[in-house]
Amino acid sequence: MKIFLRRITSFIGFALVFYLFFNILWGLFLPLLAKNINYRIGSYGYMHTRIQNLKAYSGIDILFLGSSHAYRGFDPRIFKANGIRVFNLGSSSQTPIQTEVLLDRYLESLKPKLVVYEVSPVNFSSDGVESAVDIIANDTNDIGSIKMALKINHVKVYNTLIYGLFRGLLHLDSSFVEDLTKGDDTYVEGGFVEKKIAHYDKSMDFPSRKMNLKQKQLRAFEKILSKLREREVAVFLVQAPVTSGFYHARSNNSDIDAYFRRIGNYYNFNKIIELSDNQHFYDERHLNQAGVELFNAKLLEILRDNVVPTKKSNLK
Amino acid sequence: MNSWSEIFFRLSYGYMLFNSIDFAIFLPVVFILYWLVAKRNLKAQNLLIVVVSYLFYGWWEWKFLSLIIFSTLVDYSVGLGLAKRESPNVRKMLLWTSILINLGFLGFFKYFDFFLANFTKAFSFFGHPINASTLNIVIPVGISFYTFQTLSYTIDVYRRKLKPTNDLVAFAAFVSFFPQLVAGPIERSTHLLPQFFVRRRFFYSEAVDGLKQILWGIFKKVVIADNCAQYANMIFSDPSDYNGSALVLGAIFFCFQIYGDFSGYSDIAIGTAKLFGFDLKKNFAYPYFSRDIAEFWRRWHISLSTWFRDYLYIPLGGSRVKTSLKIRNTLIVFLVSGFWHGANWTFIVWGALHAIYFLPLLLLSKNRRNLEIVASKKYLPTLTELIGMITTFSLVTFAWIFFRAESLAHAFTYIGGMFSLSLFHIPSLVPRRHILILLGLILAFISVEWSGRKDQFAIESIGKRQPQIVRWSFYSFVIFMIGMYMQTQETPFIYFQF
Repeated sequence: MKIFLRRITSFIGFALVFYLFFNILWGLFLPLLAKNINYRIGSYGYMHTRIQNLKAYSGIDILFLGSSHAYRGFDPRIFKANGIRVFNLGSSSQTPIQTEVLLDRYLESLKPKLVVYEVSPVNFSSDGVESAVDIIANDTNDIGSIKMALKINHVKVYNTLIYGLFRGLLHLDSSFVEDLTKGDDTYVEGGFVEKKIAHYDKSMDFPSRKMNLKQKQLRAFEKILSKLREREVAVFLVQAPVTSGFYHARSNNSDIDAYFRRIGNYYNFNKIIELSDNQHFYDERHLNQAGVELFNAKLLEILRDNVVPTKKSNLK
Repeated sequence: MNSWSEIFFRLSYGYMLFNSIDFAIFLPVVFILYWLVAKRNLKAQNLLIVVVSYLFYGWWEWKFLSLIIFSTLVDYSVGLGLAKRESPNVRKMLLWTSILINLGFLGFFKYFDFFLANFTKAFSFFGHPINASTLNIVIPVGISFYTFQTLSYTIDVYRRKLKPTNDLVAFAAFVSFFPQLVAGPIERSTHLLPQFFVRRRFFYSEAVDGLKQILWGIFKKVVIADNCAQYANMIFSDPSDYNGSALVLGAIFFCFQIYGDFSGYSDIAIGTAKLFGFDLKKNFAYPYFSRDIAEFWRRWHISLSTWFRDYLYIPLGGSRVKTSLKIRNTLIVFLVSGFWHGANWTFIVWGALHAIYFLPLLLLSKNRRNLEIVASKKYLPTLTELIGMITTFSLVTFAWIFFRAESLAHAFTYIGGMFSLSLFHIPSLVPRRHILILLGLILAFISVEWSGRKDQFAIESIGKRQPQIVRWSFYSFVIFMIGMYMQTQETPFIYFQF
């Protein structure tokens, strides 16, 4: 029995080293066959460029957080025209688990006076894998990445992190430069991504579904809010507009609203502004530029009426 | 019957799957308690097995534990009763008590809704509509398996093949032994029960063998079965969306899904039992390398087919009767076997199809041609063997369509779509890269299974004569392949629903 236990322990050590080695090998030489490594530097959400861009910002007025609803929904140019300095740190499918990692990394340097957090319920009901691998591939990995992987506890995140740490160690991505225009998308200074599609013509029938907010996401979310409160950063919770068919297919909107209203200063823009599904969206849940302009104008109006983050604020 | 997705949802809720983190913690803890705490004390080890087996089962639904406990007490008492009574009538009555109680539970939980729905339909058809709603009964996981296992005890005691035990703990451990409780192999009392009375010793080589078998079982389940399931489910859920060649591919994916899933489970069960010093029956012997259907049935779900052979087919007269009775007996066994899998006409048609495949071989006395594994002394099969294997595989795959379909109409739609001109088009499946990766994995899997076809499990002998570093590298590579290609959603084993 002793021999068995000793050999098993040695084998586990051996298998671990073997696993790390082959994981890196697969990532380097067989990336197309590596099903459970999803290392995509410069992927569709422009996270790589956004992180590089972020380094030029400090002492901003508003920091935007959230998923594609955020980075495709808040246009820094509109805020800049109103004398407000903002940065959009939204990323693909960003869930609170990733938001927490990003805030730990960049809150200190960005020093925002106000955080506008886009709280799309779909991101609270997600496991966070897609966003985790996006951040691993496009940002520098640290202990926060390991904590994030442990929280998500998914083999794809572990594999991608192992590979990402290896690439980071050897600086294999240091010369990577992302194109600012990809198809219909253009990256805009300050973290925004503009889509050059003006209309949405598809069918609007969506099956009715209930959004189940995940406990681990809610825990991370509440932790974020308390961290921001500790730093006396005002927080605005915003639900960005989606097409009416998509919105009304969610059967528990009132429960979701009640939760966010209870926890903070919350505005559901699906109820605040009237938008046309065809004219103001480019797909079922993302605004086109015309929609973004209306959404941002209304947000500015509300911010001016309701928020005074600090005495030096440009918002009033 | 409920849809497969509903069943998967129900099963995945709170069940301790072999491929779950819960089990990864449970197994080493039980192993340490068994060998280090309860060591050298047979009764303590048996008691521990009962406790952890009930915990394992209760993890899913503790209320259904009462069924196992009740079955255990009934069959234990019947066994003791059979030992004391000599009168044939009393003995027969005791046996029937056990059969009726066990099959009564099985019938109620598994078949009540089916019979009720079919009676309602039949009455409506003859112009007498009746109002009867089904009860939507939840089937206790593993009921078909432990019911058959415990029945084998009373039948064997009745036949005086086995002396009844008066050790209730050992008997309870035999009925509930956690590695094979919920999906087999269905053990015979004559094989497993005596093992609970022999002092267990820890053998290094047996434990290592067990771990290897568990590893291969996990690979079969999470890499082969679960990846195939992703596409099989997608294609079967809406066959009208796919062309003929994609439907063929869907059926083949299901073929590997069910094999990887069920034989993977059996490997994990047998390997786990080895860790505790038990020998369970082999349940699969490379069935897709069979050269005819008779050979397939000697290699597929062996513990169930031999159960039916010994407790149903032979008592009916077997094959040593006149031709018409031979046909009747074969049909009965295959239809009952189909119905055992679930209360749906699809399973009955599946059984009937296999009976149709099997009967010509039986009637021409060609059913025992291929007793040894194919190409047993060669590397490659002959052309005749290859044709036999491909034909058998095609017949089996065709029958699986009925097994997998939600209803007969669904199966016929699927088959109708398959045999169309689009059969000769490129499969309408995306993303192609993922399909190619999956086909590559299946090919690699077949190669490993082929190379190990003479062994108990495919990787048993790989690297056996090589230095430790080579062996460890191979096992580590299997672990790596699991991590790299496993389907990332925890999926329950198909056979849990039966």
